[in-house]
Amino acid sequence: MVSKCVQVTNKMGFHMRPANVFVSAMGKYKCDVFIVFNGKEINGKSIMNIMASCIKCGADIEIRCDGEDETAALQEAVQLVESGLGDEQ
Amino acid sequence: MIYKGIAGAEGIGIGKALVVREADLDYSHVVFSGAEKETKRLQTAIAAFCETVTAMQEKLTASVGEKQAEILNGQIMMIQDPFMTSQMQDFIENGQCAEAAVDAVCNMYIEMFSSVEDDLTRQRATDIRDMRARLLGILLGQTEVDLSDLPPETVLVARDFSPSMTANMQKEHIVGILSETGSKTSHSAILARSLELPAVMSVENICTLLENGDTVIVDGTRGEAVVRPAQGILEAYASKRAQLKTEKQALRAFAGKKTVTADGKQLAVYANIGKPDDVSAVLQNDGEGVGLFRTEFLFMDRAALPSEEEQFAAYRAVAAQMQGNEVIIRTLDVGGDKDIPYLHMEREENPFLGHRAVRYCLDNPESYKVQLRALLRASAYGNIKIMLPLVTTVSEVRRVRELLESVKAELRTENIKFNENIPVGVMIETPAVALTAETLAKEADFFSIGTNDLTQYTMAVDRGNSKVSALYSHYNPAVLRLIKQTADAANRAGIPVGMCGEAAADQAFMPLLIAFGLHEFSVTPAAVLPTRKTVSLWSKTDADALAERVLTLSTAEEVAAALQEAARV
Repeated sequence: MVSKCVQVTNKMGFHMRPANVFVSAMGKYKCDVFIVFNGKEINGKSIMNIMASCIKCGADIEIRCDGEDETAALQEAVQLVESGLGDEQ
Repeated sequence: MIYKGIAGAEGIGIGKALVVREADLDYSHVVFSGAEKETKRLQTAIAAFCETVTAMQEKLTASVGEKQAEILNGQIMMIQDPFMTSQMQDFIENGQCAEAAVDAVCNMYIEMFSSVEDDLTRQRATDIRDMRARLLGILLGQTEVDLSDLPPETVLVARDFSPSMTANMQKEHIVGILSETGSKTSHSAILARSLELPAVMSVENICTLLENGDTVIVDGTRGEAVVRPAQGILEAYASKRAQLKTEKQALRAFAGKKTVTADGKQLAVYANIGKPDDVSAVLQNDGEGVGLFRTEFLFMDRAALPSEEEQFAAYRAVAAQMQGNEVIIRTLDVGGDKDIPYLHMEREENPFLGHRAVRYCLDNPESYKVQLRALLRASAYGNIKIMLPLVTTVSEVRRVRELLESVKAELRTENIKFNENIPVGVMIETPAVALTAETLAKEADFFSIGTNDLTQYTMAVDRGNSKVSALYSHYNPAVLRLIKQTADAANRAGIPVGMCGEAAADQAFMPLLIAFGLHEFSVTPAAVLPTRKTVSLWSKTDADALAERVLTLSTAEEVAAALQEAARV
């Protein structure tokens, strides 16, 4: 398992569209993807669970990837969050 | 087979039935057919869901824009959540049918989203509810009816038509309307009349009696639905329909003429409208003004209050198109049977006796001022009059005037032009104001009698309740006296008095209104010319004689009989 902490920088946080950008990207990896936020582990491939977690701008989250292509998955996940998940900054 | 109902809107329509069924999402009868089969059913339903929603989204994008359609896109994203579908799968593996799996998992998410603090996220619960209903509907084999894309010659059949349903229907393909509930004054009947579509309301079990595609005749004049008629009957109705068309053409002779009684007294026939688009029907039917512009439709079918600009644009459009003719705009008449979800009005034990119309508006001055500002600004572009609904006391009129003055002061400092003397009138809909019309006439610039509510409040009868609706008649001597008293008070005070309720279009009633001294009658656009014709058939003297006799009668039935007997065509 690999993991990394990042800060959510886009204005709207993980609302519908950014969450969709994230899960669509993660969907192509075989490994499990989790977002750890507020001590809870959230399935990173589930838009429903991500949205329900209300991850807002400025939140510190940890991304965990576990499985055969975990390194590539983590790299893309971190890069996506840092670049604002396709949202206007 | 002929089924009786209540005549909602005149005319004859012949077409194919389209039954709008209320979704029955009860799946208790569904038997688990094995995990493999249920999984397949679930997958097929999800695919169908995506297909339907994508199609809806495309249509919505084309009609209202991408932003509204985005909501639907969200539903597609959500339904494709692999984690959620695997949760549904778990339920199936445990021996539950696909419906139960969808229901349980959606409910779990609805609960989850409803309990978060973030407003935007909480709203997603509504999307999930919508998603659940649509998925269950697909699984249960219910087809959704899309009223915006109807086959030609459709007779729409439903238990009831909600205002939001009627907003989206493709009017040019509808030839008639049938409903299981409602009366002549329910929204669907009023709408049908404004669209000149025949309608029959309160036809018992009509949704069950008709199958989609059945041939059905809507006789909106006699209040009958003829289901799967024999060829001979069909032909008879078709020729009657043609005859009605001829009569209608004869009425055109009254277009472009003034409204005058047989002895030369000039009156006016105005029309009622619900939205700016309706003005074309007013002009087509030669309405001399707009006697009632119901502003509720501007507030319905949306997520938040319409902005001042939006309201201003609507009022100005109507005023400008009416080219200096009077446009009487009624301020928001919310409450009662008209609910606007985003206002979050409290549920009331007795909504018709509750916090509605001008009462609600005066308690929410900030949003009321937006409407008043828009009305004042639009008054610079035409002949606008403001009308207050459901007034019961003079102090309500005073409070509105105070608000109006404060808005005027704002506009003056902003150098925005408006009509300084914009008339403010009162809709006479309660016995309270009819009985105190004398004092009210000193503070109101005009009266307009709204007979629907006036009859309901005078007779203490819910017009939608078929058990008591027989009592609901403007022929009741009590209602007649209140109308006369209101008109007398207005005439003594020298202010105009009109009528904008359904009774104004009751041709048999017209001689009484002429006798009582009303000046203006506001009717559904299709009734403008028939009303003008009726006025032309009566002299004030004849009308007075009839009124004198009618006022001695003691029951609504006697009044109805006397008026029918005297009716002129």
